[in-house]
Amino acid sequence: MGKYRIQIIFVLAAIALALYFLYPTYRDYELHKELVALHGEDSLAFLEQNETAIRENRQKRIKLGLDLQGGMRVVLEVNVLRLIEDLAKNKDDAFAQVLKEVREEARHSDESPVLIMRRKFEERQIRLSRYYGSLRDDNDKIASILEDEAKKAIDRGMEIVRNRVDQYGVSEPNVQKLGGSRIIVELPGVSKEAEVRQLLQGTALLEFKLLKDPEVAYRVMEAIDKALAATGVVDTADTAAQDLLADTTKVATPEGEMTPAELVKKHPFLSIAIVNPQQFPGEAVVLEENRDKVRRLLERDDVKRVMPADMQFLWSAKARIFGDGRRYFVLYPVKSTPELTGGVITHAQHSVDPNYNQWIVTMEMNSEGAKDWARITGANINKRIAIVLDDAVFSAPVVRGKIPSGNSQIEGMENQDEARLLEIVLKAGALPAPVEIIEQRSVGPSLGEDSIRAGLISSAVATVMTLLFMFLYYRAGGTIANLALILCLLFLLAVLAAFQGTLTLPGIAGVILTLAVAVDANVLIYERIREELATGKTLRASIDAGYKKAWSAILDSNLTTMITGIILYQFGTGPVQGFALTLMIGIGASMFSAIFVTHIVFNVITDVYNRTISFG
Amino acid sequence: MRLLGKTNIDFMSRRRLWYAVSLSVIVLGLISLYIKGIDLGTDFLGGTELIAKFQQPVTIGDVRTAMEQAGYGNSEIKTFGSDTDILIRTSEQREGSMVSDQMRAALTAKFPGNRYVVLREDKIGPKIGAELRRDAVLAVIASLIAIWIYLWFRFKFVYGFGAVTALFHDVMVTLGMVSIFDGVLNLQIDQNMIAAFLTLVGTSVNDTVVIFDRMRENQRIFKTMPLEQLMNKSLNETLSRTIITNGTIFAVLLVLLIFGGEVNRGFAFAMTVGSIVGTYSSVYIASALVLEWVNRGTSKGQLT
Repeated sequence: MGKYRIQIIFVLAAIALALYFLYPTYRDYELHKELVALHGEDSLAFLEQNETAIRENRQKRIKLGLDLQGGMRVVLEVNVLRLIEDLAKNKDDAFAQVLKEVREEARHSDESPVLIMRRKFEERQIRLSRYYGSLRDDNDKIASILEDEAKKAIDRGMEIVRNRVDQYGVSEPNVQKLGGSRIIVELPGVSKEAEVRQLLQGTALLEFKLLKDPEVAYRVMEAIDKALAATGVVDTADTAAQDLLADTTKVATPEGEMTPAELVKKHPFLSIAIVNPQQFPGEAVVLEENRDKVRRLLERDDVKRVMPADMQFLWSAKARIFGDGRRYFVLYPVKSTPELTGGVITHAQHSVDPNYNQWIVTMEMNSEGAKDWARITGANINKRIAIVLDDAVFSAPVVRGKIPSGNSQIEGMENQDEARLLEIVLKAGALPAPVEIIEQRSVGPSLGEDSIRAGLISSAVATVMTLLFMFLYYRAGGTIANLALILCLLFLLAVLAAFQGTLTLPGIAGVILTLAVAVDANVLIYERIREELATGKTLRASIDAGYKKAWSAILDSNLTTMITGIILYQFGTGPVQGFALTLMIGIGASMFSAIFVTHIVFNVITDVYNRTISFG
Repeated sequence: MRLLGKTNIDFMSRRRLWYAVSLSVIVLGLISLYIKGIDLGTDFLGGTELIAKFQQPVTIGDVRTAMEQAGYGNSEIKTFGSDTDILIRTSEQREGSMVSDQMRAALTAKFPGNRYVVLREDKIGPKIGAELRRDAVLAVIASLIAIWIYLWFRFKFVYGFGAVTALFHDVMVTLGMVSIFDGVLNLQIDQNMIAAFLTLVGTSVNDTVVIFDRMRENQRIFKTMPLEQLMNKSLNETLSRTIITNGTIFAVLLVLLIFGGEVNRGFAFAMTVGSIVGTYSSVYIASALVLEWVNRGTSKGQLT
């Protein structure tokens, strides 16, 4: 045994690791089953009790693709035509005519709309500077400016979309840039198409809102706290039962000094919306996992009643990590009526302030905006103004003094990313990022269920059939191959769970195909062993020769399959990528289990226990 | 258990007959492709596709009338798995979700009291359709080239040539079969189907590689054996593996074809055809072409 100890330990460790990675998927399934069995208040209580477990297991389970889970996938593209139309000044009839022609031609052409437009204007001997840039700019320069704007528009569109999706409150949304000019949005479990379309395509609204005076804000928050304490929080659960059920992120029990349940009961609001006048004057911070709870509390009628009419709470767009290493969202009490909207901004730029060596964002306004801005800043020195895009606060700088020209400088960004983001946000108010939906796929939950069932049935039938055949054909050898086959499936799923891969419907087909690949490796080896046995070699020698000689064939054939897998992953989208992923993982898993694991088993049986093995 | 003992089949002597068979199957497929064309899915065509599940069965005729009234008389309408599930597809492009909204409205008006849920809805813009089409072709070509390069490196140029020609043959035959059977089995060329093509390319080359590998090994032992004889020997030696593995793959795919559901059907069909054709082509296209090349030229086809 000693000779093989390290190898055996290695295999056992791999199995243990695989089980460790698969456990959350199993737990998630169990919890879901228990939850489905309960009704009404029971299910709510269950959610409250197990919310940490539910959240954690859900994060670590094998992700299901939209085709299995149901949901929407939308691909957005910047509408360059709309952008160049919006950017043009002094639009006249000639411009309208050219734009119409460009629109017509762009429909069938791969050429960029900017270039088409440039050509059209040159045919008419009209300089682009009539509509864009300054008079001295030549066509080359203006064309490159416009192309550049199109590129920037995608970043803007991306932030706008991500911000809105975050606010929309879907669990596990995915917003990604695809190539240079597209955005993919994946929303699992969402099927309200009209709503999502509006959410993604509407014009962005940038506003400047004055923060409420800290004194007033605290008084209101205390009043909310009292109002809630009077009715009791349990009530929340009842009225928001449906909401809670639909929610996937659950609320954690408060920690630290506020642990006693009485405190929560006494301060249902302030126990989770933490105020700290010294550290965060005029705002409250809320742990990420408590955000939905606070959101629900704020929507209650009895809370709304104690809120002043011109006051609202807005959330910070991004979470902040504080000293305790946990993620907090900031809750800003602001005046409902905006002081100014973002349309007046003409320019925004992030840069480094040479005097203090820190990241800043400068912004400029048109004359109309500058006039308002001077009045607003003049009247609110040392107060804070929140920069709000689509109801999310991106920054809330303090007004240092009156800004007469509209040229403002915003400080306090921690790094370049933050400064860059603020620049994008400020521009979003002025420059539109017209995006249009060019691809939209939605799968209803029932098709997903049917697909899962079909996938599971076919996987099960295929597996049982294969196992049975291998046993009948190769007897003892087949049994060991079957063990390897089951391990292969285990490893495949575990790797998928560990690397947060997504299982799609074609992915299930990939799993089934992996069975075939794994069987092939064993068949190659066993046929070789039989051949070697037929030449009169001993079992031991035949096994070793079989593995040795089959190796190059297995390697070459698996690598060619791997090549197609990689190409498939590169070219495919969504579901097809899921297939390529399981296929590639499957090849790796099958080589490990079908070659390495079975060889050890054979060695141990023949060497250590001195038994013979029948290869049928 | 043994399916077959030691065989001694002279595969290579009958290769010309099989060239003819391959050619006729491909030509048959091409004729079908030319006359019937091939059913391109919404992925590649662009347009809107809607699958609705009704509570009670509906007839295609009624759905068609509803679509005609809504102005989508040119849509393709078929059942999807059962007679309560209807697939409607049109290549019409309109602003936003207008097409699907109008389709839904038409269905609601036509079948009052028979409620439906939308199982799936895809809207693909014309540009995306064209791009996916281009990507699919590129993917197949890229994988063929990549495999050629790999086999060239691991074996020899001519072996890569034989293997890739065989793969091209497999793709052509399967494409033809899909065209011939698309009406009966509700098949269409979509992204899943392209995945199937690439996978059958991957598994088909497996067979070829196993045979070539055995030839390489045998050449080391029987240094003077003529290539044709060596090829036959290698084919016979790997025959039982070929049959067992491909039998298993075939059975697994058959299961997927039968139980895998409507969504996986196209995939399973293409793979099933591909697994048969791929096994055959490893012998009569990939190996045979290497033999032809060597017989004609100066290359000895030596691998070692």
